[in-house]
Amino acid sequence: MTGRNGWARFVGFKMLRLVSLLVGVSVLSFILMQFSPVDPIEAYIGGDMIRVSAEQRSLIEERWGLNESPMERLLTWGQALIQGDLGTSMIYRQPVADIIQERFMNSVTLMAVAWLLSGIFGFALGVVAAMRRDSKLDRLICWYCYTLASTPVFWIALLLLMVFGVWLGWLPVGLGVPAGMSANQVTWGDRVIHMILPALTLSLTGVASIALHTRQKLTDVLESDYILFARARGERGFQLFRRHGFRHVVLPAITLQFASFSELFGGAVLAEQVFSYPGLGQATVQAGLRGDVPLLLGLVMCSAIFVFTGNMLADILYRMIDPRMKEELMS
Amino acid sequence: MGRFSWRWGRRNVRTGLGILLICSIGLSGCAQGVEPTASSAAENGQPGTSTTKDELVLAVGTEPEGGFDPTTGWGQYGSPLFQSTLLKRDAKLQLVNDLATAYSVSEDGLTWKVTLRDDVKFSDGEPLTSEDVKFTFDTAAQSGSVIDLTNMADVQAPDDRTVVFTLKSPQSTFISLLTTLGIVPEHAYGADYAEHPVGSGPYKLVQWDKGQQAIVEANEEYYGNKSAFHKLTFLYLDEDAAYAAAQAGTVDIAAIPAAFSKQQVNGMTLEAVKTVDNRGIMFPMQPAGAKSGDGLPAGNDVTSDLAIRQAVNVVIDRKALVEAVLEGYGRPAYSVSDDLPWSNAEAVFKDASLEEAKHILAAGGWVDADGDGILEKNGVKAEFNLLYFAGDLTRQSLALATADMVAQAGIKINVEGKSREETKKMAYSNAVLFGWGSHDPLETYNLYSSTHKGEGYYNVGLYSNPVVDSWMEKALQATSEEEALPFWKKAEWDGTTGFSYQGDAPWAWLVNIDHLYLVTNGLDIGEQQIHPHGHGWPVTSNLEEWSWDNSAK
Repeated sequence: MTGRNGWARFVGFKMLRLVSLLVGVSVLSFILMQFSPVDPIEAYIGGDMIRVSAEQRSLIEERWGLNESPMERLLTWGQALIQGDLGTSMIYRQPVADIIQERFMNSVTLMAVAWLLSGIFGFALGVVAAMRRDSKLDRLICWYCYTLASTPVFWIALLLLMVFGVWLGWLPVGLGVPAGMSANQVTWGDRVIHMILPALTLSLTGVASIALHTRQKLTDVLESDYILFARARGERGFQLFRRHGFRHVVLPAITLQFASFSELFGGAVLAEQVFSYPGLGQATVQAGLRGDVPLLLGLVMCSAIFVFTGNMLADILYRMIDPRMKEELMS
Repeated sequence: MGRFSWRWGRRNVRTGLGILLICSIGLSGCAQGVEPTASSAAENGQPGTSTTKDELVLAVGTEPEGGFDPTTGWGQYGSPLFQSTLLKRDAKLQLVNDLATAYSVSEDGLTWKVTLRDDVKFSDGEPLTSEDVKFTFDTAAQSGSVIDLTNMADVQAPDDRTVVFTLKSPQSTFISLLTTLGIVPEHAYGADYAEHPVGSGPYKLVQWDKGQQAIVEANEEYYGNKSAFHKLTFLYLDEDAAYAAAQAGTVDIAAIPAAFSKQQVNGMTLEAVKTVDNRGIMFPMQPAGAKSGDGLPAGNDVTSDLAIRQAVNVVIDRKALVEAVLEGYGRPAYSVSDDLPWSNAEAVFKDASLEEAKHILAAGGWVDADGDGILEKNGVKAEFNLLYFAGDLTRQSLALATADMVAQAGIKINVEGKSREETKKMAYSNAVLFGWGSHDPLETYNLYSSTHKGEGYYNVGLYSNPVVDSWMEKALQATSEEEALPFWKKAEWDGTTGFSYQGDAPWAWLVNIDHLYLVTNGLDIGEQQIHPHGHGWPVTSNLEEWSWDNSAK
């Protein structure tokens, strides 16, 4: 098998899987929405219930095509999608593509920062814990990870909000930009400041799994014969880790970190909610609670692509870091 | 919406601090990056608390996601802010002119003629004419949104200053549309109007950061009284986040739930605004076996008995509910429209009377024959379910407290939290704790008229009384609100029958919930109207009256 051909096949195969995944996910979500007890018209009307007569209700149904059968609606939606039209959101009354684009930029920076921080710190903590196994430091790191792994994201978010936003007043309590500032005055610095708390929340909880896994993997490695042999030759500490441990633990760490895209996305939903941060998460909550089918389908596809990309990147990185994987992947 | 209990977090502060301590050790590496940026946040993030500024930051309501287009629903509560309406209601809820200089209704109630001011300009400098009004109502009628203009047959603009509406059937409550529907400019209306509204209201939209805030500035072209505040920033925060923002000194006004009212916030005063945002118990009025409009099982053998409904009504201690559940921020409710011009003061009654309840039940044939503390009549136990929307703490507490009070009279209420969807299906055969309250008497009509029996959330109890119906028809057919008022009152209680406690008692109203706002010291928010259902936006309806109280400096 030649290298270039292999890559082409690999990418083609992945694309095929992505398309089938998207079709499956969107059809499934659509069916689930049909069974959801949320009545989209009621959700649309919201608190204004009393003002709307039965006649007006049927006008709303007609306006949003809710009087058609589910099959018809799915087909209409699918046809529009093939032409690149994701439809119009019921609650925002805007094209779904615009909303996702707008929100994606906010979320993606937030998630990227949180992801990098949790990856780097998680890996470092895991390595330190394994190298100093059974020391006080190790126990402290483990305790920290277990505590965080069992703590809900929104609770951490509320604590950070209380301490840094309210008590200390160092950081803003919400939003993605300063209150009352016109768009052309908002600097990158402002955006960064407003991102700190949500990003910190996300990365704090993300640290736990990667640190614990890395610690476990490295502990296994350190107990192997070749490490014993290396130790016998007098290698110690960081040098030992760099020469014989790093390659063994970095691969699982990377896989885990890329595979955590889905948790990252889920965590962002909660963190954005607490900090009133205008990302995809906020939009997803709204779309789900209010039966906004076009928006929810758009977001589901967006998140599916996001998670899929994470997993695919992990695969590709595997192949680049460890050439032995190539054959396995292709077979 | 994902609202998380703040109080739960407070209780765990100590545990949380422990965790945070650990976190700060784990993240000592990035702390260096945090500090310099944090100090710059203090410089530009805080609006400050100086009492001379002409800018305000408000966290008072949820975001109108659909944007600021009145023809699809913006401005239904409070005021449309960027647009003006033909008429409006003052602090006493009396009708006053806004864009209109006069209006008249024909004898048959079908033709409404409105004359407009001639000095009104939109914020882009173009004059506002009757064509814009016609355009607005036509657009709203076709929008398929929450604006219900199904009774409007036609709207015409015979000349620049005159608008003529033709209705399909007489409707004195049509006036509410004239007080809430903001007029949009025909020349500047397009697909993106909701995001870039142009109007003749006191403010114009400068910037809308979706999901975060709207920044507005005074409209130089505005014809009415100018507000003392040149710039307003509306933050769209959850109640928890709004409270946190108030504590952090970021906002000048924050709407908060009663649960937070006991805690002091430095530099802010708690203002409680009277409302008709009520909660009450709806009773199924038919015996079991009836059917709703959608074919769902309806009726209930216990609540269909007048003695039960009246006894529940009279035994409840409403003042105690206000104290215990609303922390004192509210007032007892005796009707759907307490203190509004169309409610009948005679329908108020003396409650918290166990004696009266026992008397009514005994007279109605309910006795405790088997001695288990629950009354029976013809083999039926005085027991029924009371549903509330699960997750709503206030409704849950009200339901539980009410059940306790009613138990003394020998009536057993089983309180159950259900989702909105489940409630909708079960509402026809079970008592439900609902909340209403509107500046539009049409709500009264929708709740009690047999025309709307079993239609969605309208008249879920299938209440029907021909006398009440005829009073309400008369009220609708009246040609002015004043003329309609006596008929609305008679529908509630005309001396012999009505939908009040003394009459058929299809509801047991419990409380009106005050809307609470934390207001920066020294800021005077004027005389507020009795707010309708829905927290938040109504507070802005009298922005031109807001000012800094100089004596408080």
